[in-house]
Amino acid sequence: MALCLAIFCDHPATAHIVPPEELHPITESYRRLGFFLQLRPLPSSEVARDVERIAAELEALDAERASAFARAARPLVESLDPATELEPNEQLTARRALFELATRALAAALETQLADARASLADYGAARRSLDLARQLWEAFEVEIRAADPQTFVELGRCWLELSSALGHPGVLGVGVVAPDSAAFAEDADELARYLRINFGEAYRVAEAGTFAPVPRQRSDPERAVELPIRLPPGANLNKQLPRPRQVLNMATRGVDERETTLIALGDMGFDSSFIFGEPARSLALSCNTCHNKSITNPGFFIPGLSSRPGGLDVSSSFFAPHANNGHFDPIDIPDLRGIRFTAPYGRNGRFDSLREFIRNVIVNEFNGPEPDPTLLDGLIAYMLEFDFLPNPLLGADGRLTDAASAAAKAGEEIFNREFEQMGGHSCASCHLPSDHFLDRRRHDIGTVAGAEENSRDGALDTPTLLSSLYTAPYFADGSQPTLRSVNEWFNDHYELGLGETELEQLTAYVETVGSGVDAYEDTLHTLEAELEEFSFFLSTYEFLKQRQHSELIAITFKTIALEIRAHKWDVQDPSQMPTLDHMASLMDAAGEALQQGDWAAVDAGVQEYRRVYAENPQLR
Amino acid sequence: MRLRNSVCALALFALAAGPAPAAEDFRLVFIAYQNPDQLVDNVEPVVEYLEARLGVGVKAYVATDYAAVVEALRGETADAGFMGPLQYVLAHQEAGAYPILGEVYSGSSTYVSRIFVRKDSGIESVEQLKDHSIAFVDPLSSSGYMYPLDVFRQQGLIDHRDDADAFFGRIYFAGGDEQAIRAVYNGFVDAAGIGQYSFTLLRPEERDQMVAIGESRPIPSHCVVVRKGADPELVDGLREALLALNDGPNRNLLEQLYNVDGYVEVDHSTYAGVAELAKEYGFVRE
Repeated sequence: MALCLAIFCDHPATAHIVPPEELHPITESYRRLGFFLQLRPLPSSEVARDVERIAAELEALDAERASAFARAARPLVESLDPATELEPNEQLTARRALFELATRALAAALETQLADARASLADYGAARRSLDLARQLWEAFEVEIRAADPQTFVELGRCWLELSSALGHPGVLGVGVVAPDSAAFAEDADELARYLRINFGEAYRVAEAGTFAPVPRQRSDPERAVELPIRLPPGANLNKQLPRPRQVLNMATRGVDERETTLIALGDMGFDSSFIFGEPARSLALSCNTCHNKSITNPGFFIPGLSSRPGGLDVSSSFFAPHANNGHFDPIDIPDLRGIRFTAPYGRNGRFDSLREFIRNVIVNEFNGPEPDPTLLDGLIAYMLEFDFLPNPLLGADGRLTDAASAAAKAGEEIFNREFEQMGGHSCASCHLPSDHFLDRRRHDIGTVAGAEENSRDGALDTPTLLSSLYTAPYFADGSQPTLRSVNEWFNDHYELGLGETELEQLTAYVETVGSGVDAYEDTLHTLEAELEEFSFFLSTYEFLKQRQHSELIAITFKTIALEIRAHKWDVQDPSQMPTLDHMASLMDAAGEALQQGDWAAVDAGVQEYRRVYAENPQLR
Repeated sequence: MRLRNSVCALALFALAAGPAPAAEDFRLVFIAYQNPDQLVDNVEPVVEYLEARLGVGVKAYVATDYAAVVEALRGETADAGFMGPLQYVLAHQEAGAYPILGEVYSGSSTYVSRIFVRKDSGIESVEQLKDHSIAFVDPLSSSGYMYPLDVFRQQGLIDHRDDADAFFGRIYFAGGDEQAIRAVYNGFVDAAGIGQYSFTLLRPEERDQMVAIGESRPIPSHCVVVRKGADPELVDGLREALLALNDGPNRNLLEQLYNVDGYVEVDHSTYAGVAELAKEYGFVRE
């Protein structure tokens, strides 16, 4: 029991946090390699890293085979380096060859482990270790086998159970001894080995261009279309941060019930909905809220190959919206959206003056969504315009520190406003205007962006606000600075400002004071009740949407609520409430089906029933 | 995720290289369910804490299976260790070991085993599992075999574990909690008999496909067991030191001790029910 609990059951309130898969290093690198190979541009250094990792791990299992893999794989990896400038068709050929090589190596290693287990049946511990390792390698293939050939997947699954059972058991101090069953083990090991050789052996070829996944060659039903699930690579993290950051919605702070603000509630729903995006974001349940959790940057967000560091993402890659791929790897630090109504222009390089255009671009060109309904866009804007900075008693309305600020911060305020000849006679405050939310709404090239060529003029970035910034690390558009102190050090070094240790500390104290706020995080890990209240806000838009005949937005609302309930219900503190939560999700499913049928009476009834159930279960509020 | 995947080598891995432990050192065996090397790193602060509390050197060892822990207590190469209820009963019977503390999870010092099936299987009761396949964890597992089997015994469906082969169409030992629950989820078998927390090894969306149709009697949780003849003063010190973690300033160390909520005092009577069941099922001698 102990480890189960250690990992998953430590606290029910964190149950919606999806723990990372724990895979054997070879399996992990292989799966990641498959993900990388589909990307354009290819993250070649990461490909090289995972190929070397596979080779190193194989070395421990089968030195000869590992050596052969490395000898064949390294030239392919080198050929995929951007400096080689392969033609597109040559690139594709090299990618396919590399994946085929890795697939065959993995299958062979698995087969070897099965043989080792078989050979050491007299030594339970050794046989178990080999079998467990074989099964861990099997995890590289099983998702694709399941998708492509469900019947064989089940048959092979039983083989693994037979193998495990056939190992027997050594007992404890002579009690509970079960002898191994060599014949049974041999039979199932042979069947698995045969399957591996046929499907992932020397004859294995990538099924189709661009699909770097081990789809078996022979299937029970060859006519059956293969639909592979959309997956992120091992190491990806879409979980939101805990404790949850405190969102400050201006109207809510003023005591307004979101159910009274239809457009804002609609935007709230859209912000939380993956259904406004296209594939693959939709299948991955990725929404605006995934990256901007309750408007606040999600510092842990990470996708290998698409992020250079946690809290960042290349939003112009081939993965989420191939049509809008800009062809180069340029991940950006996820911006914080607090106070967004004061922070135009938008985008790290300030390329959108209008929030409407910015949001539309995110939906359509960053996450492959359909052209958004104008009402939905109105809603998203209305909702986002409510995002406030954290209140900060250490700052006056004019942006100057109040008397409550520390002496160090006050000394830092002077430095912040000091004009430096090295910065063209400007001060920090020249761009981060204290009287105007610590920004100037302009773009400047301060030397943090590598240009496309020498003397190019493509490195200007929008001045970011410093308000509430204490909680949005890392910093700079690429997230390259881990702390506000390191940002100050960068400026000190880059512009040779000559600030000593004391002044650096004072300047940092000032910036941290400006960036601070009251109650930055919620004081509970329990999120279900707050989420359910939010879903009631979402549903409050129903009558408005029905009146305006926005069936598509109603459908999105129902689907979003159902999906979100199912994602968050594991947070429930009282397990007896689980059936009620299931019922509420089912009501949304049923209302969505009725909507498709045009049965408005049933839709109305479903909505009313949902509201009744929610109202009559105060434990959920 | 590999959970108690296997009963591996019977070897103990010394935590720290160097000279053999001094005679007065207290020797504690941790069980590694997953990554022994990682556990070695994790328990270092626990060892430091215990040394400060006990006033003697503490040598920690990592074992990869319960048999090694029991063997170490019997052979007096260790003074205390962590183990499951059935393993404790065996250690008590074979070596006179005794428990001093039980683990607390989610506010409870007991847990249960459950019989899980897929919701879409049409199976609604354990009676309906007659002639169906079932996956257990391990033939010597409390929550992954003995207690789930007892669910069928309580229902009058079997009298003894030897009857199980006749009742079920096929019994598998999956080798781990996750393997067992996934075997049901994936449709390899019709049911799995496993500890309640194994369910959470599934991803949230997968859990929705599953339902429990039977539940065992409460199982006392895993325990800290000391060998017969261990220094009573050090045993008391160990008990007090671990109990002090429940509310004290070093509570964070519980994260390194299998992330328990805390400990409660136990004695052999806490595990009397386990012992009785083990006898009835022939796991231990009459």
